[in-house]
Amino acid sequence: MEIEEKLSVLNYKTDKGFEHITVTPDICEVCPDYFCTFACPAKCYTVMEGKLNFKYEDCVECGTCLFACSHGSVKWNNVKGGHGVKYKYG
Amino acid sequence: MSEFDAIIVGAGPAGSSAAIKLASSGLTTLLVEKADPPGSKNVSGGIMWGNELGGVLPDWEKDAPLERYVISKGTGLLTSDSLISVDFRSRKFESRKTGYSVLRAKFDQYLANKAKSKGATLVTGVTVDGLALKDGKVAGVIQEGDEITADTVILAEGVNPRVAISSGLRPEIGDKDVAIGVKQVVKLSEATINERFNIRGNSGFAGEYVLGFLKNGVKAGGFLYTNKETISVGAVINVGTLRADNETHSFEIMDQFVNHPFISPYLEGGKMEEYSAHLVCEGGIGSVPKIYGDGYLIAGDAAGFSYSNGLIIQGINYAITSGIAAADTVIEAKSKSNFSSGMLRGYEDRLQGKYVLKDLKKFRGIEEVTWSNLAHKALPDIAEETLFNLFYEEGIPKRHLMEIVLSATKKSGVKKTDMILEAYRTMRRM
Ligand SMILES: Cc1cc2nc3c(=O)[nH]c(=O)nc-3n(C[C@H](O)[C@H](O)[C@H](O)COP(=O)(O)OP(=O)(O)OC[C@H]3O[C@@H](n4cnc5c(N)ncnc54)[C@H](O)[C@@H]3O)c2cc1C
Ligand code: SF4
Ligand code: SF4
Repeated sequence: MEIEEKLSVLNYKTDKGFEHITVTPDICEVCPDYFCTFACPAKCYTVMEGKLNFKYEDCVECGTCLFACSHGSVKWNNVKGGHGVKYKYG
Repeated sequence: MSEFDAIIVGAGPAGSSAAIKLASSGLTTLLVEKADPPGSKNVSGGIMWGNELGGVLPDWEKDAPLERYVISKGTGLLTSDSLISVDFRSRKFESRKTGYSVLRAKFDQYLANKAKSKGATLVTGVTVDGLALKDGKVAGVIQEGDEITADTVILAEGVNPRVAISSGLRPEIGDKDVAIGVKQVVKLSEATINERFNIRGNSGFAGEYVLGFLKNGVKAGGFLYTNKETISVGAVINVGTLRADNETHSFEIMDQFVNHPFISPYLEGGKMEEYSAHLVCEGGIGSVPKIYGDGYLIAGDAAGFSYSNGLIIQGINYAITSGIAAADTVIEAKSKSNFSSGMLRGYEDRLQGKYVLKDLKKFRGIEEVTWSNLAHKALPDIAEETLFNLFYEEGIPKRHLMEIVLSATKKSGVKKTDMILEAYRTMRRM
């Protein structure tokens, strides 16, 4: 089962007005390792045509990217107002 | 005058246990949870070990949403081709229950509602942004720019405690403090689960595995737990080795585990109902910050209270125990109207007297054993080679077991001296 399919089973209340995680494109552009793309369990970080693409909508708020990125690109906040992932089982 | 005697940030097992205790003792308590409903962002394997909840809810075994009690504890080493395992089953666990499988969305909601029914004010879907300070002391919390005041704040935010970190009360988390947990919940009928795991009624299986088949030095452990009508299966991935490899995706490790020839039959035909990921607190005593100060206490994962030795993951029980100890400390502080660091220090003393700090200190360095080369690579390979040679009949004269072990060790490429050294370290820390 592909990760995309697994994520499609999840419920999210996406916060359209607040991206709780942001990256700094200038830093990612010269990234030597792209470790975020291997570490993030929800495949929010992908490289397309040599450029990092980040998608906060699929994030399950695990916190991994916050320290996985050792180049200071990731700004990480808690989601607000009950937004984000909603597990049925947990 | 503060608006509340205590504000608790986070309604996980640590926060809700603290709230139940505080509210039951008549203190005005505010329990703030960012998820709505509570529990809907939380993930465990999860087995709740021990009888910690009895400290605040004497009847928990009767009314908590428990899935199955553990009658069978499995521990295994997985290589690409083999599974070497011990399955300890005992009727003794029938009369003396050691652990129950739980699903956190339901379980945490139960605990939070208990806190509410005891008189705590529960607000959900609200994220605490920071701490309110007064004369250098913690005096409450800040949410959307508003200040809510309390004599004491208990930070029970879990493994990635943004409030404690941004307030400078503990350092940022790093590769050594945590592991990446990934999990799937697979639906199957109760009868199928009973049959596959050879269990009956509400008894259950809890298994942990070393994933010795991973390539390029990546290290991870797997877990497989039975619930009533679902199976919880997942992996706990070491960050340092994943980083060193920089080729394996965390989510692929999950697939490799569930597709293993001796794990997949348990899950066959089941419906994957949920995928989740969460950090696991793994740093041992080295990750524990100062857990008290003027006007605040830190409990549960936020304080680094969790224990794992590769055979078992424990965090829920530590969270509950530390939550209750934090509450007891606040109750005492209230009776003396003194919320200073000197008074709240009693929290650490309380935990010293309990297994929480004792275990972490006694098993200092256990995280090195959990993630050692011996456990993750040498042991699975050597065990496989030894047992294969022991049981494979090819019509040639039999060899002594020791001879087989030695040649298997040689084949695994581990130096004998390294092996002895690591085995010694392991024994000392276990
Ligand atoms: C994959 C995995 C498997 C595990 N397996 C087991 C197991 O089998 N047995 C076991 O005992 N332990 C297990 N653990 C560990 C266990 O889950 C944790 O130790 C336990 O959840 C810690 O409880 P806690 O109350 O400290 O934190 P949490 O359960 O994380 O609760 C923290 C709460 O605080 C809330 N919160 C955080 N920040 C804010 C904020 N700013 N404002 C408002 N609310 C906030 C969160 O939403 C959350 O509800 C496992 C963990 C993982 C990830
Ligand atoms: S987020 Fe960090 S690890 Fe990922 S590409 Fe950017 S700099 Fe590199
Ligand atoms: S918090 Fe976790 S799921 Fe979200 S983007 Fe970061 S690594 Fe991915």
